[in-house]
Amino acid sequence: MLGSVDDLFAPPQADWQRVSPRLATSRRASAMLMLTVLAVLLVGFLWFVVDAGAAVVATALVALLVLAAFVWWFIGRVVRRWGYAEQAEELYITRGALVRTLVAVPYGRMQYVDVEAGPLDRMLGIATVHLHTASPGTTALVPGLVAEEAARLRDRLTELGEARAAGL
Amino acid sequence: MSAAPDAGARRLSPLTPVVRAPIVVIAVVGGSWQTFLSNGLGPSSLVVLALAAAGILYGIVAWLRTAYWIHDDELRIDTGVVSRQSRRIRIDRLQGVDIVQPLMARLFGLAELRFDTASGSGREGSLAFLPHREAVALRAQLLLRRDAVRAGGADGRPDGGPDGRSGAGLPSDPVTGEVPPAAPPAPPRVLAKLDLGLLLWATILSPITLVLVLGGAALLVVSWVTGAPLFAGGFVPAVLGAGFAVFRGFSAAYGFTVSDSAEGLAVRRGLTALTSQTVPLPRIQGVVVSEPVMWRPFGWARLEVSVAGSARSDDSTFSAATLLPVGPRAQVLWLARYALGGEDPTSVPLVPAPRRARYAAPLSAWTLAYGHDDRFAVSRRGWWTRRFDVAPQGKVQSVRVRRGPWQRRLRLATVLVDSPVGKVAVQARHRDEQESRTLVDDVVVRSRRARRAASSGRVAPGLL
Repeated sequence: MLGSVDDLFAPPQADWQRVSPRLATSRRASAMLMLTVLAVLLVGFLWFVVDAGAAVVATALVALLVLAAFVWWFIGRVVRRWGYAEQAEELYITRGALVRTLVAVPYGRMQYVDVEAGPLDRMLGIATVHLHTASPGTTALVPGLVAEEAARLRDRLTELGEARAAGL
Repeated sequence: MSAAPDAGARRLSPLTPVVRAPIVVIAVVGGSWQTFLSNGLGPSSLVVLALAAAGILYGIVAWLRTAYWIHDDELRIDTGVVSRQSRRIRIDRLQGVDIVQPLMARLFGLAELRFDTASGSGREGSLAFLPHREAVALRAQLLLRRDAVRAGGADGRPDGGPDGRSGAGLPSDPVTGEVPPAAPPAPPRVLAKLDLGLLLWATILSPITLVLVLGGAALLVVSWVTGAPLFAGGFVPAVLGAGFAVFRGFSAAYGFTVSDSAEGLAVRRGLTALTSQTVPLPRIQGVVVSEPVMWRPFGWARLEVSVAGSARSDDSTFSAATLLPVGPRAQVLWLARYALGGEDPTSVPLVPAPRRARYAAPLSAWTLAYGHDDRFAVSRRGWWTRRFDVAPQGKVQSVRVRRGPWQRRLRLATVLVDSPVGKVAVQARHRDEQESRTLVDDVVVRSRRARRAASSGRVAPGLL
């Protein structure tokens, strides 16, 4: 569900289209990997360099575990709140758990559309569609789209962008 | 008869290697002169001489290997000593051609031509250096040819568009294929000229000068109290550095003149390096009127614009395009109105932020205000520098609303109206939640309307 019912971030019509939960899997996997590396480095540092006792190392590990649990939960929350809605003239995107944003991008203002997928995303069959306008402030991206949906969205956006292209 | 392309390569001025000679070489040679005199031709001085000679030789070879051609539809510039580079600039894509004269070039009567093709990546290319008169003529010729190519349409004939179209219709010389330069246009109307006295006072009353004076005073006091002269030593380079920065800002704005020309707003400025730029009116994406706190008692302000497709910035003081570095507020607002196609942005009613915005931004909440109508979205914010941002509805790229956790507790949100790359940033900070969403939806509707009106040609060019 998209979090609390909130007028400010209500979809323009009907409902927000959701992103795939596989995005959460992908982000969690990379976060856990990074935390594992961090844990190894930290333990190594504490044990070998600083010669801290087992208690200190254990505390550090517990702290990292708590952090990992929090990150796990937070990623889930962020993914649940990501949504997009294709309107007649604009694309609306909403995102964010802590800092929520809503952006409305007119199709005619699109300069180009990117579809990106890192190795983890590719394995899971999802991709990120990223819209660019002439303004660097327009952060309009939708990650976690299933590959076909990403392709469909990109094609639709390109087609609509050309049809409604407005000169600068 | 179609024009034959300008046959043969053209060269830059032979004085170019002299002007381009690295200052370092000169400084090193000049600095080592004493050692030459005292030590004679020792190995170290030979090395220095060899380096200097190599530098000069490189400059000469680079000049020899640089050539440019003016073809029917493109300008070709070949450069490169070791790795050859051939750059082709489509003439019909030329947004503007600037003439810049750095100090050294100016001493020799040379100028640099800089080409801007709205690719947003900075300069597309440049020709440095040509004799000033030739640079002016070449610029006029290129712009003429650009207009001709654009008017000529799909067949891309360089000239020969039907009479009555702007810039076209000048026949080419059947023998050489040259397009003669157009009759000199009527002298452009000066819209604003920066008064030297005003510039001096404004430079003095700038934050950097304040920092300089206060910092200097503080250091002097400390060194006097502690009796240690050490501080004075560290003080000098800092003063020089700051003074140099101040001078650069001053010299970049010296003699600032804005005129109205056929291509748009023509800006000429500079003390040591003369720069002339053109800002075409339809490409203006918004304006910002800034009033630093130290200028407010005198009623001075600065006008800057966001121009589509130009990332030019040589001096850090001119990030977007500065239309007027300092001027009386009334004049600045008049010029802003002119840049926006004659519409007055101050006529848009401004609504201040709700009172509880104090809890989100205690220092600046009282300065925040926003408003929009069918023509513009405007916002005001800031105390240290009070800024008034204006974005024409037809130029809005996207609209965002953002709410942080603290804002959520206060039922506030911030609306951001995005403009293309540049200084303009219209923001409605810390507005009521409900109001924010209404603003977003409203701007979406109005900017859509403005875009439609623009593409159907119903709107004045300034707001396109």
